[in-house]
Amino acid sequence: MPRSSDHSRDPCPYVIFSDLGASFAMGAIGGGVWYGIKGAKNSPRGERFPGALASLKARAPVLGGNFAVWGGLFSTFDCGMKGLRQKEDPWNSIASGFLTSGVLAARSGPKVALTSAALGGVFLAVIEGLGIAISRLVADQNRPMSPQLPEIAPPASH
Amino acid sequence: MSHTNIEDEETFEPIYAAQEDFNPNDTVSSFLNTAYDPARLHPLAGLGGTGGLDYISMEDDAGSLPGAHRGGGILPSRGWSDDLTYGTGLTYITGLTMGGAYGFYEGLRSSPSPAFKIRLNTVLNGMTRRGPFIGNSAGILALMYNAVNGGIGRARGHYDPLNSVLAGGLTGAIFKSTAGLRAAGSAGGVCAVAAGIWAYGKEALNL
Repeated sequence: MPRSSDHSRDPCPYVIFSDLGASFAMGAIGGGVWYGIKGAKNSPRGERFPGALASLKARAPVLGGNFAVWGGLFSTFDCGMKGLRQKEDPWNSIASGFLTSGVLAARSGPKVALTSAALGGVFLAVIEGLGIAISRLVADQNRPMSPQLPEIAPPASH
Repeated sequence: MSHTNIEDEETFEPIYAAQEDFNPNDTVSSFLNTAYDPARLHPLAGLGGTGGLDYISMEDDAGSLPGAHRGGGILPSRGWSDDLTYGTGLTYITGLTMGGAYGFYEGLRSSPSPAFKIRLNTVLNGMTRRGPFIGNSAGILALMYNAVNGGIGRARGHYDPLNSVLAGGLTGAIFKSTAGLRAAGSAGGVCAVAAGIWAYGKEALNL
């Protein structure tokens, strides 16, 4: 069964910036919600809104930046693997997750970096596996059915 | 050689090549390289080529950037989602690079020891201190600006550089809103001017 590539994504060098921006947006907005609620919960009753605001102002951009770096590096490695292997399949994503997590933990020493890389690869493998499973489930619904022929009376024989 | 119309005949006479058709001095090149007149082959044969019909070019030569055939101009874009993702991404990476460069020079200048490992560590510390802060702030500004711009454009129905000025003003005001009314107002003014330069500059350079 041929794996169809996602044709809604832009071609490879340019998609890195799109992924950067999308990851940053996800991290910043998600972080805004998360740290806003956390800040509101951790503040005294009269100060909930300023507390939420201060918390999200401090933390949400950082989370957005972390997501952006992760997404941008992942997309860069993904494009690199596609260019190297000249193939598009889930192994590109898994290897990119491995490399991204490894590079981001590189300053902590080789052992920690290798563990991080392995975790990143496993994480991406889980995501890709879920994606393949879901696409198989959805494709099953579009299985071509042979048309139902109407019942024709056999010709009367003389 | 007499030509007989095939349909008229009941029987068919075999047609042999006559002796005068064979010329032992003929080579392959004598009939392969001779110029032929395409106009004799087909009535529409002369349309292409010099001075004739040109192929209709379906795409601009604006390049292969995504959205090039629709947005047009230097920074092609297919709409608000492209603006949001590419704009935020490019702004973030620009801010990160500029902040990183600033941190690089700062670390290089203020390194306590000329040893390579310590210098490297100081430089990396400087880059990771300055770069993400400027990058994050720039990204947040770009995110808010593009979101507000898209919202204003959708509410007004059409996209104007005036939308950008208004979006810039709102973004700056919201960004500095917790520092008080005056800070918000001045930040809004600065951002509105910057957004106006960006939008009107883009329009001017496209024309």
